[in-house]
Amino acid sequence: MLGEFEYLLITAAARLGDDAYGAAIREEIEATTGRRCSIGALYTTVDRLETKGLFETWMGDATPQRGGRAKRMVRVTRKGMEAAKNFYDAVTRVSRGVSWAANRAGILL
Amino acid sequence: MTGIGWPLVDVASRLLAPDEREAVRGDLVEAGESAWKGLCDVLGLVVRRQVGLWKNWRPWIATFGVALPCTLLLMGFSLTVSRIYQLYAWIIGNQQFIDPKLLKEVGLPVAPGVAQLVGYLFLLIGRSWIGGFVVGSMSRRTVWVSAAFSFSACLFCLAEFRAASLSRFCLLLFLAPAMWGVRRGLQISRIKLRSAIVLAAGVTVLTVATSNRRGLSIPSLELSWPAWYLVATAQRPNWLLRRS
Repeated sequence: MLGEFEYLLITAAARLGDDAYGAAIREEIEATTGRRCSIGALYTTVDRLETKGLFETWMGDATPQRGGRAKRMVRVTRKGMEAAKNFYDAVTRVSRGVSWAANRAGILL
Repeated sequence: MTGIGWPLVDVASRLLAPDEREAVRGDLVEAGESAWKGLCDVLGLVVRRQVGLWKNWRPWIATFGVALPCTLLLMGFSLTVSRIYQLYAWIIGNQQFIDPKLLKEVGLPVAPGVAQLVGYLFLLIGRSWIGGFVVGSMSRRTVWVSAAFSFSACLFCLAEFRAASLSRFCLLLFLAPAMWGVRRGLQISRIKLRSAIVLAAGVTVLTVATSNRRGLSIPSLELSWPAWYLVATAQRPNWLLRRS
């Protein structure tokens, strides 16, 4: 089973699609959760997900807005999508009937 | 990018792998973070990476099984070699005033003594090089931790050294071959099987030949096992790989 932060990373990367790379994923997570995402947490988790076969990463092209430095591009694998779906299903099931999820049942299900 | 902050970020990010350094530095520029926040981020990643490396057994063995004990033992061995050298240098310098029979009686005949000194010298170089090579090749990315522990041990022993007739730098005779070994270990990580066997056999033969009548001591064994580790992890020739 995925950890919470792993799920956030996979979801952010899946949402960004072909534009998923370190800084963009970080911005996405910070914007949606309102929490700071450190570079250390981001890259060590990306590595862990890659080791588990849930992510594929490669070095992209260098761009001027990054001072001529390359991006580490990220793609969610089929296995990664499956793991994220399982996590989401588990969270949805375990949240049924609890007060904080009651008003959102329609959204969650 | 002015001030001292960004140069510090550059220095800290050198502790990361080249690709990761590239990606992280680019991310910091793109996010427009301040230098100090960037420095905290890079240091945070460096710490996480280092902690991750220490989940493996290799850095532990390299640092606490080889680097630290071998540094202490090799300093002792360097001192032994220096004392024997000092003794025979004095005997040879004053040979015309000393009766050879007397030297033989007190167990200090010149020729065997010089032969033992030469044997010790080769053994010191061999053990130091092999120890350094094993430290460098066993865990490349934590080699700086092994070096820091060894350096601290050297500083402690240099500070505590109390032999009036010898310079305290006699303790560091092992340092040059050990550093050469570390450098080679970082460069090639494994040596050929034949070279490993020659080295291990050479060190073992010299250890046995120069050991006293009480047999092999624990320090001798501690200084000899890295040589056999080299044999165990050596690059196998193709014919041996095909057979296995």
